[in-house]
Amino acid sequence: MAEATAAAALLHAEFPAAVRESLMVQGIPALRVFKEQIPLLAHYLHTKPDLRASLSLLWAVDHRPRESRDELWYLFTLEERKDWLLLCADVQDGDRLFRSITPHIHAAKWYEREVRDLFGLIPVGHPDMRRLVRHEHWPKGAHPLKKDFAWDTVLRRAEGRYAFRHIEGEGVFEVPVGPIHAGIIEPGHFRFSVAGEPIMQLEVRHFWKHRGVEKLFERRSLTDGVALAERVSGDTSVGHSVAYCQAVESLMAIEVPPRARYLRSLFLELERLHNHLGDIGAMCNDTAYVLPHAHCSRMKERLMQLNDRLTGSRFLRGITRVGGVCLDVSPPQWNDLLAEIETVEADFSDLERILFANASLTDRLETTGVLSEQIAWDHAVVGVVGRASGIDRDLRRDRPFAAYADLKPCVALYRYGDVRARMRVRMDEVHESCRLIRAIHRKLPEGPVAGEPVSEPAQGAWALSGVEGWRGEILYMVMAGEAGGIHRCKVRDPSFVNWPAIQWAAVGNIIPDFPLINKSFNLSYAGNDL
Amino acid sequence: MFRILKKSLKTGIVTGTYPGAETASGQIEPAARDKVRPFRRSLTIREVDTGSCNACEMEMNALVNPVYDAERLGLHIAASPRHADALVVTGPVTVNMERALKDVYKQTPHPKIVIALGDCAIDCGLFKGSYAVTGPVDRHIPVDVRIPGCPPRPAAILAALAALREKEGQS
Repeated sequence: MAEATAAAALLHAEFPAAVRESLMVQGIPALRVFKEQIPLLAHYLHTKPDLRASLSLLWAVDHRPRESRDELWYLFTLEERKDWLLLCADVQDGDRLFRSITPHIHAAKWYEREVRDLFGLIPVGHPDMRRLVRHEHWPKGAHPLKKDFAWDTVLRRAEGRYAFRHIEGEGVFEVPVGPIHAGIIEPGHFRFSVAGEPIMQLEVRHFWKHRGVEKLFERRSLTDGVALAERVSGDTSVGHSVAYCQAVESLMAIEVPPRARYLRSLFLELERLHNHLGDIGAMCNDTAYVLPHAHCSRMKERLMQLNDRLTGSRFLRGITRVGGVCLDVSPPQWNDLLAEIETVEADFSDLERILFANASLTDRLETTGVLSEQIAWDHAVVGVVGRASGIDRDLRRDRPFAAYADLKPCVALYRYGDVRARMRVRMDEVHESCRLIRAIHRKLPEGPVAGEPVSEPAQGAWALSGVEGWRGEILYMVMAGEAGGIHRCKVRDPSFVNWPAIQWAAVGNIIPDFPLINKSFNLSYAGNDL
Repeated sequence: MFRILKKSLKTGIVTGTYPGAETASGQIEPAARDKVRPFRRSLTIREVDTGSCNACEMEMNALVNPVYDAERLGLHIAASPRHADALVVTGPVTVNMERALKDVYKQTPHPKIVIALGDCAIDCGLFKGSYAVTGPVDRHIPVDVRIPGCPPRPAAILAALAALREKEGQS
């Protein structure tokens, strides 16, 4: 924590007039500052060469009914040791304005629009004030996360139009795609501006699937939110439920027993494996190379059947609980699991040799959909996509959780940022996951698989937690409400930060390559829209 | 080339290597069976997601993998509702997807059937009552078949579709 504490002290010393107080929240240094000064401090953190802080999360809290004020929190990850640092500003006394940091920090773009839609706080100076979550037919003044907005409000239907950005000129066309697509995938809208074949601009219009997840969390008790967390994004059931549980556990001071930590790592790796295999196959399929797709989906199916045998759920649902896990893996199940992993890894290695020997596949993948390191950094891109563009971040190594402190995972890193690099990251991670699963088996300690709560959290106490899901870092902020309830739960799927970046990766490519680029990102719509 | 052939030979046939569904289908109403009769032994499906968590989509995708290989049973996935006999709808209908769902229904040629897949499509599941959810699928378009589960296993989906297309007296 030395780095973040030093950075907080440095900020305090540099801008004594801006800082109201410095505090520690669950071991993370935080500065409460005057809201007018936020852009200044954020810009300093972001650009100072030895800090190079990137914005990891921005969220707002409505403190009513206890206090009539809103709070904005900014979570930064420092470059060197990936320490976390928090900035906080109050918006109170009926004031609805705060100063936007987007002109300095790209990564804040969607967060600030989200805060505006859900809380009605207005980011002054934001270059793009269009609605994000609320589609144009939502009535004016409907801000669902405000405390005076009932969770079951029936929304009237208003009329409105979303203003897409237009490129005009001779021979420039717009191609609208979605919300309903040709494959079996989730709804989202893409608007391409093309001149001939190459894409000049791509605009992503999402949030079709907004289900009000964060508001629904507020109706649940702390120990009872797991089922909802599992359904934020179905393909990341374990990632989300573990992230949620970790936040609640640090709120309630629950010590998770070592065996439960190892089992959580096991389930996270199993989830990573079947998703990565599916993605690698699907990427080949989008180059019209169907054979690897058939093999990969066959292997993925094997793993999902294995999940079913181990836990009774193909998606590993219903196995995580606050305090640990719900079930143990018996020795015969371990034998089944290890044999299956062995088979699948050998199977996959055969397939890799076939893929690497195929020049026409390589030709399609290389230099397609390049996301440069600079753009990736500007958008604070995370996970597989980030690691393919030279962003060396992996929470399993940087902020170890579950059993990763003992397991020491190796992080796959590529620099080209093209579709091939994203495929290579996934291929490397498949092998690494197999290695980790074997290591978990070797080191698995004996003991109970769940701990009990020690203390009831004080109203208004909150905790942050991060989990490296298969797609990237999943962040949860859970704030306790009265009588063991939830006052606010901020969910951040990695898709939310990676979607804006895909708009840049597509530019200059041809439309027929977009499905391939999209598949290589493979972002969740449900996790993004909430 | 040799490597590819060797791999295929080594793998062998995997179709059908899955545990059977414990519950043979939901309750298929006779009316739904009558409606599906004109399609005889082939059924072309368009999948529409109106707000699911994407687990149902993953299971729908699994249907076309070599293990389940739904094509062998005459089930095809269409890229457009205009080519479809059946709409498979997943997820509670969100405020933002309501209009898109109604449009898709209109675009699907008659005769057609609608299958609500998963607990969310049937009764909104955990998302029931939320401000962002307008209700289950049958609030907006008529639903003929309901396949429960969160998500239903691919084997259960296949069993339900088989039961739907069974001739009377065969079951």
